[in-house]
Amino acid sequence: MVDINTVGRTFNIQRYSIADGPGIRTTIFVKGCPLSCKWCSNPESQSKERQIAYRNTQCKACGKCVAACPKQCMTLDEDGIHIDRTVCDVCGTCVKKCLPGALSFSGKDMTAQEAFKVVMRDKDYYEKDGGCTCSGGEILMQPDFVAAIFAQCRENGIHTNADTCGCGSEEAMRKILEYSDMVFFDLKHMDSAEHKRMTGVGNEQILKNLDICMHSDAQVVIRVPLIKGFNDTDENITAMCETLKKIGGQTPIISVLPYHNYGENKYRMIDEVYELTDMEPPSQETKDHVKELIESLGFECRVE
Amino acid sequence: MSFKVNPEEIRSVKVLTPRLQKLKEEWEAAPPQVYVDDTLLFTESWKETEGLPVDIRWAKALEKRLLECPLLLRDGELLAGSLTKFIRGNGTLCAMKPREILEMCESGRFSRKTSDSDSTNITPEDLAALKADAEYWIEHMPKKSTVNEAYRYDMGEGVFDLLFDHAMIFEGRGVREKMDRGLFQNYSAYGGGVAQVSQKCIDHGLNYVIDLCKKEKERMMREGDVQHSHGSAQFIRKYWLLEACIISCEAFIKYAKRWADLAREQAAACKDETRKAELIRIAEACEQCPGEPPRTFFEAVQCVRLYHLVCWKESSDRPEVPIGRLDQLLWPYYKKDREEGKVTPQDAAELFGALWLKIREVENLVTIPREQRAAPGSLLPNITLCGVNEKGEELTNELSWLILEAMAQVKLSEPAVYIRVSDKTPDEFLRHACDCNVRFGGGNPAFLNDAEGTQRYLDRGVPLVDACDWNASGCLGYHLSCMEHLGGGHNINQPKVFEVALNDGYDWRTQKQIGPHTGDASTFTSFEQVKQAYYDQLAYFAPILMRVKTLGLATEIADGPMSGLRVAMQYEDCIPNGLTPKEGGARYPEGWTSWFGSRGVVDIADSLAAIKLLVFDEEKLTMAELMEACRANWEGYEDIKTACRNAPKYGNDDPYVDEIYDEVAKKVVEIMQSIIDPITGKTPMLFIGAAAGHIGLGSCIMALPNGRSKGDPINDAACSAMPGMDANGPTCTINSATNAPYAKEFCGFAMNMKFSKSLLNTDEKLDKLGTLIKTFVKRDGWHIQFNIHSQEELQDALEHPENHKNLLVRVGGYSAYFVDLPKALQAEIVHRTMHEMI
Repeated sequence: MVDINTVGRTFNIQRYSIADGPGIRTTIFVKGCPLSCKWCSNPESQSKERQIAYRNTQCKACGKCVAACPKQCMTLDEDGIHIDRTVCDVCGTCVKKCLPGALSFSGKDMTAQEAFKVVMRDKDYYEKDGGCTCSGGEILMQPDFVAAIFAQCRENGIHTNADTCGCGSEEAMRKILEYSDMVFFDLKHMDSAEHKRMTGVGNEQILKNLDICMHSDAQVVIRVPLIKGFNDTDENITAMCETLKKIGGQTPIISVLPYHNYGENKYRMIDEVYELTDMEPPSQETKDHVKELIESLGFECRVE
Repeated sequence: MSFKVNPEEIRSVKVLTPRLQKLKEEWEAAPPQVYVDDTLLFTESWKETEGLPVDIRWAKALEKRLLECPLLLRDGELLAGSLTKFIRGNGTLCAMKPREILEMCESGRFSRKTSDSDSTNITPEDLAALKADAEYWIEHMPKKSTVNEAYRYDMGEGVFDLLFDHAMIFEGRGVREKMDRGLFQNYSAYGGGVAQVSQKCIDHGLNYVIDLCKKEKERMMREGDVQHSHGSAQFIRKYWLLEACIISCEAFIKYAKRWADLAREQAAACKDETRKAELIRIAEACEQCPGEPPRTFFEAVQCVRLYHLVCWKESSDRPEVPIGRLDQLLWPYYKKDREEGKVTPQDAAELFGALWLKIREVENLVTIPREQRAAPGSLLPNITLCGVNEKGEELTNELSWLILEAMAQVKLSEPAVYIRVSDKTPDEFLRHACDCNVRFGGGNPAFLNDAEGTQRYLDRGVPLVDACDWNASGCLGYHLSCMEHLGGGHNINQPKVFEVALNDGYDWRTQKQIGPHTGDASTFTSFEQVKQAYYDQLAYFAPILMRVKTLGLATEIADGPMSGLRVAMQYEDCIPNGLTPKEGGARYPEGWTSWFGSRGVVDIADSLAAIKLLVFDEEKLTMAELMEACRANWEGYEDIKTACRNAPKYGNDDPYVDEIYDEVAKKVVEIMQSIIDPITGKTPMLFIGAAAGHIGLGSCIMALPNGRSKGDPINDAACSAMPGMDANGPTCTINSATNAPYAKEFCGFAMNMKFSKSLLNTDEKLDKLGTLIKTFVKRDGWHIQFNIHSQEELQDALEHPENHKNLLVRVGGYSAYFVDLPKALQAEIVHRTMHEMI
């Protein structure tokens, strides 16, 4: 059973989302993730806590926020505002004072019913294949919220897609799967030590959840963020395909997402440091090769 | 249909064959040249016909031009019919705007409608002749504007404070004081107002129409005509109009024969057997049509070319000739030839390529100041495709596919193509249309709501069979095919009214009290007061505009009949009625003689939302502070401006502002429709749009609480959001626009959207765009078009990201807003896209 009054924490709801599953979709991004992938393009999604986000492009450097901050944890220099996050208690005084809107809250609490109402606003556009995707952050951290949204979608004939990194309890996975038509399942590396080096967590639990998904009624799409020098080796790609075959249940499409650095600017927004400044996107040659390799191992492959 | 559309075959056609490519390159390289022969012939004829009835004079002037103008048939051309003797000639008639033509002669710079650049090429002999021609007309034309004198006499001098050159509460062609008027003042004619390409005329041949006119003239003399003509003036008017129609049609047939003769002459001298055969094919077509019906698909296309050209010449000053439903018009001819194996999709594609080049070749000189032009850069030769007929059948055919393919491959700015979309539009065709849109780039084709267009006519009592036969005209309008007259609009500049309402009826521009005293907004203490002041001002101004519109139109109608050609194009009704479409001769004369326009309601909704939020809900500002900032054009109040810009904006599916928009839009309809249109005796047909007028309209408006600065354009199109302010994606913008059924009340309710090419680079993504279009239509949206963004725009986004918040790009596995990307990546995308665009 689900409770539509379950409160979840989101950081964005994207309308006309066309990269997160078939058709036209609305994607609800929940806040909080157990991984901390170095390439993460949504760093503001990692922390479960609400945060103050700062966009220096909108800041007029008026200093009203610095003067108003009751914790005195803000400073202003030529690079704009800086917030001492160890002191900030996210009271929001600065947000209220900011006329240009450079300061805002990252993280919004809402009930599953409220989230579903947003999904319904675009019902006319979904037709047969479009619908709702829940993504993150990590949905397995808020299974009751996500399941309650999906359950309402089911009742109204709206297609559901769970976009997960697989890192969470099996109970959470099953709860969400019960109402999922499709799963976007991320596989970052087949070697647990490597996985841990780049994401902070090993892959054991992830593979357990992958097994559950592959043997469920939901259609699985495997998503591989392709990171140069990390997971783009023949060895890793082959190991992934072999694992998928061994697990069985279904033969998923493998969707390869070449690394990009679109998220770099967002690290500044929450006063964090982007480590991969020298990372380059994979070359066309690599992308072609990976696609060929995956196809030769018997899977349909799309490079996004 | 004994053959089925094969999308692969359509996409594999080569429209720009080497010979067309060569013609296109020649045209691109040719300098725009001022062309004077037609105006000289017109003037010469006018001198020759002194004393004759005016209808005959118009017809004779057209006849002289058609029989004596120079012809140009270039090597490799598949279709005959050039407007001038130059590859790129720009002509006009001095009789229509002599003072401004004279000014151009004196400055040596000739301004063109289809481009922002002037032409300076004119031979010394032509320059001298043109100057003399202009001087002749300055001497012989009325010294004052009849329309403006009518205003002055009926409404007093004060009305001019409101008009285009002053406060600009109203705009429209009829209300510009400084407009050069020339011989006749019949401006309000675009789309349905001018002669238009008539399917029935093509199908029957003009000999049939001539015969009808002759018989009707004889019948009038034999039996009298009391059932149609009451009184001697009407009788004799009809008699001469029919004669004018005969002269014009016969001249058209002879004009076609001149093209035939030229083609035969070239054929005789031609050594190349293939070219010789092409020239003979042209000659045979021009001997057959327009007098008799076309026998082949080729003859039909050649015939359409000449109709467009002759209708253009006839209209002279507002030559915005819609080509109409081309896929339907040509279909019977194509189907027959295709079934008999005489034509292939490739043949048809190349022919459409040739037709496109000929249509785009047509240019003219324009005298309206650049910033006041409606639809700058376009002559609006619109083509409409598809649609559902009276039997409920969806009419998409192979030609619909091919016409789009030709448009995408030829890549010329004109003609504009419109598709009538319904729930019956085949998905595969819609995908093709989206794909062609991507390949074309800039918003072509546009998508219109088929059912909505038909329904608006049904609501006005037009029978279904006629109601569903409509096509796009003008910049945002549409009309029944050859069954009505459609006049240009007179529009209320709504944000200007709102500005005046904020200032107690005072206008900063004229520095006069132009409206009633509704209170200074600085002192308002409730949100209701702000809205009420605006409604009160609108209720004051709207009846004045109706009076201006009525006097202007009626004066123009009485002023300037044209040749009988437009009678021929609507012969079924105009011949028995004995009147031109404009005077009431059309099948549906009582309705909508012109739009009653309203522009810029979105600006008002956004302004009201900012006032509600910042002053009354959050109490961050007082009304006095906000008004002070607006009056100072934000100088010293940048933070207030930013707060105003960040307030909820229409276009984001945000109920906070959308509910205000709903209320205001409904109230505007209520106020404007509380007036009767005296010419029709009905409630006025409302029109909301701003194809390009938003620039001129904005120029007279001070800073508004939506965060817009003084003099900036108001919102583009009619239901688009404030530029850069729809930041939540296209479904939200559409929802804002279609939450209430405005489209049913207003015509011209257009939405512009910008898309990144990378959002549309697979069939799957094209289908998603198709779904978006169908949903827009399902939600009763009227008109939507997509700009697949250009290089310039991306470059501007790079430099001014604040204006491009809504620009979506997709590279790799994620969609992202352009502005959220690192600078280096933005630059990279700019370069990559340029690569793609080639």
